[in-house]
Amino acid sequence: MADWLGRVSRGIAFASSVLWCSTALADTELRMTLFGGPVDIAVWQKLSADFEKTHPGIKLKVEVNDWDSYWEKLRVLVAGGTAPDVFAMDASNYPDWQARGALLKLQPFVDAEPDLLKGVFPISLEAYKTPDGYYGLPRDIQTIALFYNKDMFDAAGVAYPTDNWTWDDLRAAAKQLTKDKNGDGTIDQWGLFAELIDMEVFWSSVLWSYGAEIVDGKNGKTLIGSAEAMKAWNFIAGMVLDDKSIPTSEQLRQFGLDGFQAGVTAMSVTGHWSVPDYTPATFKWGVAPMPKGPVERATSINSAGFTISSTTQHPKEAWELLKFAIGPHAQEELAQVGYAIPIQEVITASPAYLVQEKAPIDHKLFVDALAYAHLKPVFKGYEEWASAVGDALHRAWSGEIPIADAINEAVAAGDDVLANNR
Amino acid sequence: MSSTLKPLRGERAGLLLLLAPTLLGLAIGVFGSVLATLALSFFDWDMLTPIKWAGATNYTSLPHDRMFSVALVNTTLFSLIYVPLTLAIGFAVACLMNRHIRGISLLRALFFLPVVSSPTAVGLLWSWIFAQDQGVLNSFITAFGGNPVNWLGPKVILYSVVIVNVWGAIGEGMIVFLAGLQAIPRELYEAARVDGATAWQRLVHVTLPAMVPSLFFQGVLSTIHAFQAFDYIYMLTRLSNGNSTFPTLVFSVYRTGFRFFRMGDAAAQAVVLTVIIALFTLFYIRIQKKFGAEA
Repeated sequence: MADWLGRVSRGIAFASSVLWCSTALADTELRMTLFGGPVDIAVWQKLSADFEKTHPGIKLKVEVNDWDSYWEKLRVLVAGGTAPDVFAMDASNYPDWQARGALLKLQPFVDAEPDLLKGVFPISLEAYKTPDGYYGLPRDIQTIALFYNKDMFDAAGVAYPTDNWTWDDLRAAAKQLTKDKNGDGTIDQWGLFAELIDMEVFWSSVLWSYGAEIVDGKNGKTLIGSAEAMKAWNFIAGMVLDDKSIPTSEQLRQFGLDGFQAGVTAMSVTGHWSVPDYTPATFKWGVAPMPKGPVERATSINSAGFTISSTTQHPKEAWELLKFAIGPHAQEELAQVGYAIPIQEVITASPAYLVQEKAPIDHKLFVDALAYAHLKPVFKGYEEWASAVGDALHRAWSGEIPIADAINEAVAAGDDVLANNR
Repeated sequence: MSSTLKPLRGERAGLLLLLAPTLLGLAIGVFGSVLATLALSFFDWDMLTPIKWAGATNYTSLPHDRMFSVALVNTTLFSLIYVPLTLAIGFAVACLMNRHIRGISLLRALFFLPVVSSPTAVGLLWSWIFAQDQGVLNSFITAFGGNPVNWLGPKVILYSVVIVNVWGAIGEGMIVFLAGLQAIPRELYEAARVDGATAWQRLVHVTLPAMVPSLFFQGVLSTIHAFQAFDYIYMLTRLSNGNSTFPTLVFSVYRTGFRFFRMGDAAAQAVVLTVIIALFTLFYIRIQKKFGAEA
């Protein structure tokens, strides 16, 4: 779950952490940390009580932090030898922690319970597999879809996105929906809100749909400079720089991080994590699948997960907790929170996920997207690579250098990072 | 400043006892972490696997580190504009504030306000001032028929962050300079007046020479602040994934250490940052001596 947007916005509202605990003597005390916001605290308060009820003798202490402080704190805790027994992981960061021996090998536990992962979407497990088995397991799934503001489409007389849309259809509509409403000479309504630096919500899907690949982590190759990829980049650059139908981060700064939520863009490409943020909006909105590219239709899938510390004193109890967190009961509760797709196939077909009172939209669409989803690349050095590539991309989106130069720079800088991380 | 008060022999033990908490904190907290950073810069450490001796490789690899190079260039350019501007404007404001008129303390407080305001809130405020559409600055420009400026865009961002940081530092410079100005004996000005000196001549021949120590002191402080600049800049240039469109040295140290698992490289960057600041300080002390003033 690289739902950083949701996490950032939740993190701003909720910058501190909350913890609770109740300990009796002789009980095993487990500590668990995860990233999230107030909603996650509420759910886990309930879930930890449920866990303690069904697992007598174990006391659970859960700590929730916003995304940024979570990783900083986790590093310090692990380095200081006081790692929590169970902690949340993002698939993208998983290899960096796994390769450095911070995670307990879960394969023996998984082998002992062959039925455990039967109902779990196989693609969500993919990111957590290593040559010698699992060191972590997924707890949710994120796929990317197209969100659109019905009011803006109606006002401009543009037809809503359909299942058959191509990227060219999206570009044409976005151009029509980009407007200077108050006539002061600057654009104040844009066609599409798409995060252009991080790959997850937009550019990875566009690249895949043009038949390009992103990175070969094993051989240390950044692949975003191929001929197919350049076609995709030129398409994006056309929208950003020629049509100006995607606002840059500078233009969006005054509206907060999410232009769709702020009501200044007609469309948004994002994951299910944005649904709770978009639900209170004063405008009507809908969702559609990602448009098709020249080669295929593509979307990105990413899974947040749970891992156990390699230094835990209570591996068995920690495993019980991890099983509980990815098991049916916890997954149903988390489905109702509405930030993500549950990993259990059965639950995604049940009312627990499909009928979310606060957000009456087509939730099945996010699950159907798994059919054409590509796994968000998972490799060691991810964060540094993403920063190197993102720094170069930003120079293109801000108009400083042409996109072709930016991609050359991104590939060179990305390959340097990969070489240092092999 | 030299004090002529010295503790009596019998008081020394008590004095040490009273100072111990602060001194211990200083020794462990400050010198300890400085030494630890220096030591760490010769090791490879990702915080998770055992620490490894790296020799000087963390330093020799710095020039090849693209992100560090960008941050170094950004910070240097920023400092070159920021330091003289802060000194000049802070000094000018102090001269204007150094008079006895009604409401002067309110004015002084207003100039000092940015120093005690939360950088995060101030950064957000400035992002609205700099906003491309509906921003305060661009509204002025378009009202007078000009074209809106992309204040936070690639070409202008350096000057935009300088403006905000200078604005935030005027109050501090003003306080230092005001103290210096008020310490100048009035007789000097009276004597100059009797000799028929104009206001400009009084500034050049009386005020400025007397202010040399304050100017150098504030010069050193501003340089330190310039190389450590982070909060306003980050608030104005942060991207949604935690990166910055105008990375500074301090941001680079943080990002390299805490996000890229490269504590040794981050420590080496921090040491380089310290050396740069130390060199500038030495340079200031040198030229201050040339001016014939005491340090």
